[in-house]
Amino acid sequence: MAHASAPPPARPLGGLLIVALVEIVGAAALREFLLAEDWRWVLVLLAAFGAVLVALERRPALEARIAEAFARHRRAATLLGIAIALVFPFVLEKSSYALHLCVIAQLYAVLALALNFQLGSANIPNFATGASYGIGAYASALLALNFEVSFWLALPAAAVVATIFGFLLGLPSMRTKDSYLALVTIAFGVVIHQLLNNLEVTGGPNGLVGIPAPELFGHSFASPLAVLGYELPSQANFYYLSAVLVLIAIVFAGRLHDSRVGLAWNALRADELAARCQGINTTWYKVLAFAVDAFLAGFAGTVYAFYVGFISPDNFTFLVSVTIMTMVIAGGMDNILGVIVGAVLLTLLPEKLRAFSDYRILFFGVTVIAFLMIRPQGIFPQRLRRYGG
Amino acid sequence: MAPIVLEGESLTQRFGGLVAMAEVDFHLKRGEILGIIGPNGAGKSTLLNIISGIYVPSSGEVRLEGRRINGVAPHQIVKRGIARTFQSSRLFGDLSVLDNVIIGRHIHTRSGVLDAIFRRRRAEAELAEAAAHAEGLLKAVSRGLYDQRHRAAAELPQADRRRLEIARALASDPKVLLLDEPSSGMDDADTDALMDDIRAVCAARPDLSLMIIEHDMRLVAALPHRVIVLDYGQKLADGPFEEVRLIPRVQEAYLGRRGASHAQG
Ligand SMILES: Nc1ncnc2c1ncn2[C@@H]1O[C@H](COP(=O)(O)OP(=O)(O)O)[C@@H](O)[C@H]1O
Ligand SMILES: [Mg+2]
Repeated sequence: MAHASAPPPARPLGGLLIVALVEIVGAAALREFLLAEDWRWVLVLLAAFGAVLVALERRPALEARIAEAFARHRRAATLLGIAIALVFPFVLEKSSYALHLCVIAQLYAVLALALNFQLGSANIPNFATGASYGIGAYASALLALNFEVSFWLALPAAAVVATIFGFLLGLPSMRTKDSYLALVTIAFGVVIHQLLNNLEVTGGPNGLVGIPAPELFGHSFASPLAVLGYELPSQANFYYLSAVLVLIAIVFAGRLHDSRVGLAWNALRADELAARCQGINTTWYKVLAFAVDAFLAGFAGTVYAFYVGFISPDNFTFLVSVTIMTMVIAGGMDNILGVIVGAVLLTLLPEKLRAFSDYRILFFGVTVIAFLMIRPQGIFPQRLRRYGG
Repeated sequence: MAPIVLEGESLTQRFGGLVAMAEVDFHLKRGEILGIIGPNGAGKSTLLNIISGIYVPSSGEVRLEGRRINGVAPHQIVKRGIARTFQSSRLFGDLSVLDNVIIGRHIHTRSGVLDAIFRRRRAEAELAEAAAHAEGLLKAVSRGLYDQRHRAAAELPQADRRRLEIARALASDPKVLLLDEPSSGMDDADTDALMDDIRAVCAARPDLSLMIIEHDMRLVAALPHRVIVLDYGQKLADGPFEEVRLIPRVQEAYLGRRGASHAQG
């Protein structure tokens, strides 16, 4: 205790070591989890993760020390993180299944970051992120199939389409109270699903097939990726693509969080009336949150459509929206790292619990509840902003 | 004679059958401190809610520097120069003390979503400026508050929360500041300190006009230049406290009701 109360000595090397250790151990644990086939090993890893959370919860000083190290060595932490993400596919033993899980997890991370603007920053319940995801996927697929638009053009175009729908979805927030707004978003999700299911242009319940894989400098994303003579499965193309998308989403989220807009969202989350009395046009900021959410979700939808090459309405159901919501809540509202960890964990968990067959969902629920009991505010809860230092 | 900044004309506010405010006139001069007193349920907070745009009056008119403001949205009214605090303090509890005041600068900053993402340096510089301004304001309002600027607002002791609400309201550089029972929940020592803080704020801003709802008669006797007495939504009296307190109807409203409620409770 005496040690904890003493002012922490400036130990630049110690800080760097902590950053490196946390990132490398984290990546190694993720690799083990991805490649684990024995259910006992899966349980051991989950228990270890739980133990880490217990340690963080019991020893706030430990958590503060780690957070401080990352804050002080932000650049080094970012560079190392990017390096690890670049190398990661090479340590997955060419497993296309593991790479596939990584792609899906990263797309969900983007979706969770998108929803976090609303649910985490502004506390607006939105049950339609899955629908925006679907709008992005369908918009880009239709452009590609009907007008032979390339992936790289379809990507921003679909995001714009999704954003327009996001604005439309946000409009009722001008008139309705938040609990009704939740109902409006549920209805929106259902309507979109029904439209996709019944319209002719969207292919009805059969969806759209034959979406061409993206190409970059003559390299098709459907073919294996060879780097310095080492050949990675074709999923690696999309791994890197979605990693870039996650990076973009992190930059967006970070910049917005640390801006006047992020503060205004936080203000209306804490007390809407008080926010209005500080001159904040709360209606506009709510609509804005819907639009930003839909924009990023539209991006993710496009990558998904071009990745799997086949989409149907059932990829974008209400359940998808609820899953994304769970990721945000379990990971940690308004905390970028927390939301990503939540997304990765909740994407991988059901896959890794396949050994439990019928009890899979039960076990999934129990695990999430257990983590939330250890860390009631989410795995990595929201932190106060610091200025100038 | 200082010019009139804010005035209300035959303001009436009905909630269904209840008349919370009936034909009330008032005016506030530049640099003036106006006290609003009256028993619980008299309509004092209702008056502040009308002025700040939270309620739209059933009839009557509010004018700020001659321009009508009833019917204008609350966030627009802040832009025109009216800031307020709340009877039950409404801070952004899970944000830092400093963030609360920075949010009070909202109308003096511009950056939107696109600026934040694509013109980060500009957005950051703007926010840093707001933060510097907010720190200066906190320091001026209360040194103790400034020292706690990186704490979550919800963790502050009661007296500091009231001070923070005042600092947050001042951050918009208002012409008119509305305070709803700033001393509620404070002991005598805290109230004295609060009075000193308010005097200092006014001394530094000679043009600022203040409307202050208060129950603490020591504060009412010492601070306002003039008081308005409300009862059952009607204005009973308007004038300097020493004169108003002698009016029999005022004494009746106050003492009579007080006595009655004591007897009940
Ligand atoms: N939004 C509202 N809806 C219905 N009645 C209200 C509302 N706001 C205030 N009132 C009623 O108006 C009367 C005056 O309230 P208020 O202005 O809060 O009194 P006070 O002088 O104690 O601040 C009370 O009877 C109160 O119940
Ligand atoms: Mg009141």
